[in-house]
Amino acid sequence: MLSYILRRIAATLPVMAIVALFVFSLLYIAPGDPAVVIAGDQASPEDVERIRQSLGLDRPFLVQFGSWVWRILHGDLGTSIFTNLPVSAMIGQRLGPTLSLMIVTLLLTIVVAVPLGVVAAWKAGSLIDRVIMGFAVFGFSLPVFVVGYMLAYIFALELEWLPVQGYTPLSSGFWPWLENLILPAIALGCVYIALVARITRASMLEVLQQDYIRTAKAKGLGQGGILFIHALKNAAVPIVTVIGIGIALLIGGAVVTESVFAIPGLGRLTIDAILRRDYPVIQGIVLLFSFVYVLVNLMIDVIYTLVDPRIRY
Amino acid sequence: MTDTTVNPQSLPAGFVLAPQLPEILRPVTIRRGFLGFLRGHPTVAIGGALLLTLVLIAIFAPYLGSVDPTALAPAKRTRAPSADFWFGTDVLGRDIYSRVLFGARVSLTVGLSVAIFASAAGLAIGMVSGFIRWADGILMRFMDGLMSIPPILLAIALMALTRGSVGNVILAITVAEIPRVSRLVRSVVLSLREQPYVDAAVACGTRTPMIILRHILPNTVAPMLVQATYICASAMITEAILSFIGAGTPPTIPSWGNIMAEGRALWQVKPYIVFFPAAFLSVTVLAVNLLGDGLRDALDPRMAKSL
Amino acid sequence: MALLEVDNLQTHFRTPGGINRAVDGVSFHVNEGETLAIVGESGCGKSVTSMSLMRLIPEPPGRIAGSIRFAGKDLLKLSDREMRAIRGNDISMIFQEPMTSLNPVLTVGRQIRETLMIHQGLDKQAAEAHAIEMLTLVGIPEPGRRVREYPHQLSGGMRQRVMIAIALACNPKLLIADEPTTALDVTIQAQILKLMLDLKRRVGAAIILITHDLGVVAEIAERVMVMYAGRKVEEAPVAELFRSPRHPYTQGLLGAVPRLGSSLTGTARRLAEIPGQVPDLRKPIVGCVFAGRCALATDLCRQYAPGLEEKGPRHIAACHYSAKGAVAA
Repeated sequence: MLSYILRRIAATLPVMAIVALFVFSLLYIAPGDPAVVIAGDQASPEDVERIRQSLGLDRPFLVQFGSWVWRILHGDLGTSIFTNLPVSAMIGQRLGPTLSLMIVTLLLTIVVAVPLGVVAAWKAGSLIDRVIMGFAVFGFSLPVFVVGYMLAYIFALELEWLPVQGYTPLSSGFWPWLENLILPAIALGCVYIALVARITRASMLEVLQQDYIRTAKAKGLGQGGILFIHALKNAAVPIVTVIGIGIALLIGGAVVTESVFAIPGLGRLTIDAILRRDYPVIQGIVLLFSFVYVLVNLMIDVIYTLVDPRIRY
Repeated sequence: MTDTTVNPQSLPAGFVLAPQLPEILRPVTIRRGFLGFLRGHPTVAIGGALLLTLVLIAIFAPYLGSVDPTALAPAKRTRAPSADFWFGTDVLGRDIYSRVLFGARVSLTVGLSVAIFASAAGLAIGMVSGFIRWADGILMRFMDGLMSIPPILLAIALMALTRGSVGNVILAITVAEIPRVSRLVRSVVLSLREQPYVDAAVACGTRTPMIILRHILPNTVAPMLVQATYICASAMITEAILSFIGAGTPPTIPSWGNIMAEGRALWQVKPYIVFFPAAFLSVTVLAVNLLGDGLRDALDPRMAKSL
Repeated sequence: MALLEVDNLQTHFRTPGGINRAVDGVSFHVNEGETLAIVGESGCGKSVTSMSLMRLIPEPPGRIAGSIRFAGKDLLKLSDREMRAIRGNDISMIFQEPMTSLNPVLTVGRQIRETLMIHQGLDKQAAEAHAIEMLTLVGIPEPGRRVREYPHQLSGGMRQRVMIAIALACNPKLLIADEPTTALDVTIQAQILKLMLDLKRRVGAAIILITHDLGVVAEIAERVMVMYAGRKVEEAPVAELFRSPRHPYTQGLLGAVPRLGSSLTGTARRLAEIPGQVPDLRKPIVGCVFAGRCALATDLCRQYAPGLEEKGPRHIAACHYSAKGAVAA
């Protein structure tokens, strides 16, 4: 098992290397002088020179890349051009809200989407299936900020059930923390729930046609046992895969959700960094999110071996 | 049922007739032709009709009772929807109705262009890596790397480098979508290459370009078409997100994302500024997704499971 | 007394291309402890018949009509709950594909235990012990270890033995075996058939054996029913049927069996084939279902569907002509 995990980690190294190379060379892909790009339109020649010096842009590309990677491996993501603070410290400050939001959304999605998909597959073709799948198409089509504003308007402004916006850390209590995250998590989870419910339905439909389901029925098993024990465990691999892939949606959506609900997380930091062209911060964030994404999918590979005894490690 | 057309009495003596059996199910109507297809796949009909309407709105935006969407009128700021301003006015006094109609042009242009460019690029990359072994390893490692950057983040990072323009938005979203299309095309190519008829063509000495043209391309059309509609939908959302966070279409061009971004600060007091572009965006994306779902079910029932 | 009495069974399906009348008016019975074989080519409705008996047909798109009386109860009138209490307990089933009929992600032991826990109310330990006993009974070595293994760790023959163990765990009164040996190697086929016969004697269950393999029929069945295009065309005791088949389809079917050693004895003849195709079951069929492929068919056959007629001792067939000897052209 351990050697399997180590091998999987080794296999992700080239991927991470390519991500790093891509993130690093973003500046060079852009037309024009990277220093000028970073400095922005209003910068004076002195500003440009200062940036060139501080980023070491006057050295050869590979040398720059090498020293950049070396510093990253030591936990140094560089210094923000705008605030002059270390990027890692800036990210560290903002990590809590984003992690909270993503974890709550992830749990909400699994709890809602999987049963919906299972029921839709069980009642395939019926009214209830069509209603669930209709909601899924809507969830797919409503952009996260549209859902966000809609929810905030109805449940916060009109009904005053939940706070309109803001964030309270978990250290101030569980309910104050959760209260602020409910609406953002629903808004952010919409697309994700739709995606997971759809794949659950598709995967379950496929499984429900298998011979072993017929065997289970012929044994006299009840509907619940067939769906949740015999079928769902077999349908799990694609579902778990999509839950992993969908993390990308969560990360992208978090940027917008945090802005709608004024949550001081990494998403807000991203937007601020873009507006200020604070390149080291953008690089740091993209790198971090990609790392998290790769890590999550690595975990999912490990989960496969738990749900399906045929997958050997 | 057995026989209904003959009268049992006319059977000669000594012969036994099978008993008449009842029908136990309602009869099935078999649908044929284009209209029959639409009735059998209502999502294609609804999605197609909605999309067509929106395309017409985009094309004829200047003639649908709209005014110059960029005309400022500071005296008429943030008016609520009324007979004069159907959707109200924004903080600069611009007519939101006109801005929303013209915004349809940006969204549809971005959606369609990204769908076309990403499909073309993905098709090319997927074909190359499906057919050329040594290129496959390099290309797919690179695609894996790109795929591990969440697409919106990738588009944001690319947009941060360049000046906001519709062209750059299209380019950034296209780059973010290419890896997934390439993967899809590659997997289709690899599975087709295993097919006996392709083996047969190879055995007959058919040259690779001919095989691609005759056997591979036609079979990638259906999955590509479905994938392209989904890309179109997701590109429109991404464009709106980019504009919304200020990294997309320049503020001078009315796009749905921009209108929402401008209404953002006031959304608690003037929700209509955000509401109308949001509604249009949602309906457009919904139309494209319905079309995609319908096409997926109609083109290949087997694919309905895998997507 | 008949254990199972099926009367005018109809199983139809709604499909986009029309109503598929997969089984249309089939009647038969099975006595206690008896083995009835249902034969016919693929698509003749024999598997659908067996699934209908267990009410395993998804409704919709399917629908079952007629009556299925088992031990005095009409199965088609039972609630889902009452039907579940019968499945796997009074009537159980073995399927054609041992490779895919066991759940790949659950252990063999768990899959045997389940039936015992549902129907006999055993607790986990008791069910486990009984499961090991069943595995011993069906001839699986090291049953204590095998119960903890997954199906992919077993060979095809082993898996079919596990299926038999599951089917017989609750001592059913009726065992439906749907092509139980078709997917197996020839050598394994004989072992599995022998096992089924042994266990049948021990348990005293009646068997419905669905197959297209006439060799298997000759070996273990007592009575045979021949199906074609969703209908029963002939039924007779096994020896009677092989000696004097009355329906032209059965005659064709028997002619199509290659005889082992016939080339050595000099009696070799070409493998007979039945010309033509099975009719499309989604369109109403007028007249005899076999008329399109029958050498004896007349206009009468094409107009009037033949009913089942007595053609010999306990021998019935649905043909206007075969019993009358001479065929009017």
